[in-house]
Amino acid sequence: MIRLESVSKVFKGDVVALKNATAEIQRGEFVFLVGPSGSGKSTFIRLLNREEVADEGRIMVAGKDVGEMGAWKVPYLRRQIGYIFQDYKLLPKKTVYENVAFALEVIGRPRQVIRTQVPAILELVGLSRKSERLPDELSGGEQQRVSIARAFVNRPLILLADEPTGNLDPATSVGIMRLLDRINRSGTTVVMATHDRGIVDTMRRRVIALDRGVIRRDESQGVYE
Amino acid sequence: MLSRLWYYVRETFVSLWRNLSLTLAAILTVAISLSLVGASLLIREGADRATAQFQEGVEFIVFMRADASPEQDGAIRNVLDNSPAISGYTYVDKNAAYLEFQQLFADKPELVESVTSEVMPPSYRIVPADPDAGNVGEIARQFGEQPGVKEVATATDAIRQIEDFSNRVSQALLVAAVVLVGVSALLILNTVFTAIGARRQEIEVMKLVGATNWFIRIPFMLEGTIHGLVGAALAVPALFVVDDQVLAYFQKSDAVPLFRGFAVPEGFVWDTSIWLLLIGGVVGMIGSAVAVTRYLDI
Repeated sequence: MIRLESVSKVFKGDVVALKNATAEIQRGEFVFLVGPSGSGKSTFIRLLNREEVADEGRIMVAGKDVGEMGAWKVPYLRRQIGYIFQDYKLLPKKTVYENVAFALEVIGRPRQVIRTQVPAILELVGLSRKSERLPDELSGGEQQRVSIARAFVNRPLILLADEPTGNLDPATSVGIMRLLDRINRSGTTVVMATHDRGIVDTMRRRVIALDRGVIRRDESQGVYE
Repeated sequence: MLSRLWYYVRETFVSLWRNLSLTLAAILTVAISLSLVGASLLIREGADRATAQFQEGVEFIVFMRADASPEQDGAIRNVLDNSPAISGYTYVDKNAAYLEFQQLFADKPELVESVTSEVMPPSYRIVPADPDAGNVGEIARQFGEQPGVKEVATATDAIRQIEDFSNRVSQALLVAAVVLVGVSALLILNTVFTAIGARRQEIEVMKLVGATNWFIRIPFMLEGTIHGLVGAALAVPALFVVDDQVLAYFQKSDAVPLFRGFAVPEGFVWDTSIWLLLIGGVVGMIGSAVAVTRYLDI
């Protein structure tokens, strides 16, 4: 599903974000990216949906060479990749329902599809009864659920999560991880960058550890350290 | 397809409304600049028509004062009858002048009602023996010195005057208009830029969920195009005001009698309006296209 071949990325000022990274992630895998701040976790994720372009090496996502792909094809790549963030990135003036529907609307899905898909996904994330609320009327955990619903409503092949529990307390985080686990069990590949030792150690999934842009460790049922 | 259309329309109008003060500024600037473009075109056309009415050779016209005495009139007639420099003339009396005036302004009854045959100056339309412009000018000058003569308009004089006037005015207007059209385009660019700024978050989300670049761009380009079109639509009534007030003013002008031919048919005003709408739409589209390509880094 995802393959990195000797990928390197250097930012301005010689900040090495990723150095000669090689990894392969199979369909349906759940992978934690761990490492200190600035170790290259975010860059790893941003390279996958072409928010960044690698300086060297090759990145294959869902059978496509991401680096070689024409700019006009990038939106179609991104339709196969859900993306969730530490800060949710919800639109503050749209309701829960509208935030989720927006993701389908802007890729031109017909209205009847939106009308059936959005309630179904809100049911999945447990927010059916709050669909008319605005984001700032929700708790952090609920906002992250909305963001997951938005990322998953188009049934992507891959879900990328950049510190999704970074702003949440441990109890709420557990709920979010249960949700991601459930999505993963439906066959979606999940790649999650995290600092959360407790989560990584409890879930016992594959762990790719990064340090200053280098992959130090890649274990199939790993722990944080 | 229909839902997509609805999306574009909704997003465009939400953005126009959210950005109201800049939107109004952009629309008004377009309206003013296109009004000037239109006025310039109308004046040019009016001048062409006014001079076209004076095409029967090098005729020159001696306008008598409305209150000239019969003796003064007789003296002029005597010179005309006897001078070898004059090959012929026609006399247009007050009634005939009034009739002509009625015909010329048939579509402006209020103007016709505002004058009577009493105030119309009678005139002699004169065909000189030698049509050389210098010669005509000299004879015309002599007539101008006669008592009872209000003024003498030579074709060359009048045409030169009208052309000169129309060139100056329409060029000045056109220069101002071109500058203002440029200002409008910049203002539209800035308005669209602001609209893009106001929707940074939405655009970021749209990119991440895989909206195509055109899908993101179109509402902004529509917004700029609407600025241009609405501004142009406001310039259309202004054009009719120019036709009604300014050109009519020249038509009543005493200073230059030939300006009385200064009329533009309504069809021309409508044609010009269509041009203004086209220019407005194109300016809006260009302004927003530049904003979109420069500031929407997709």
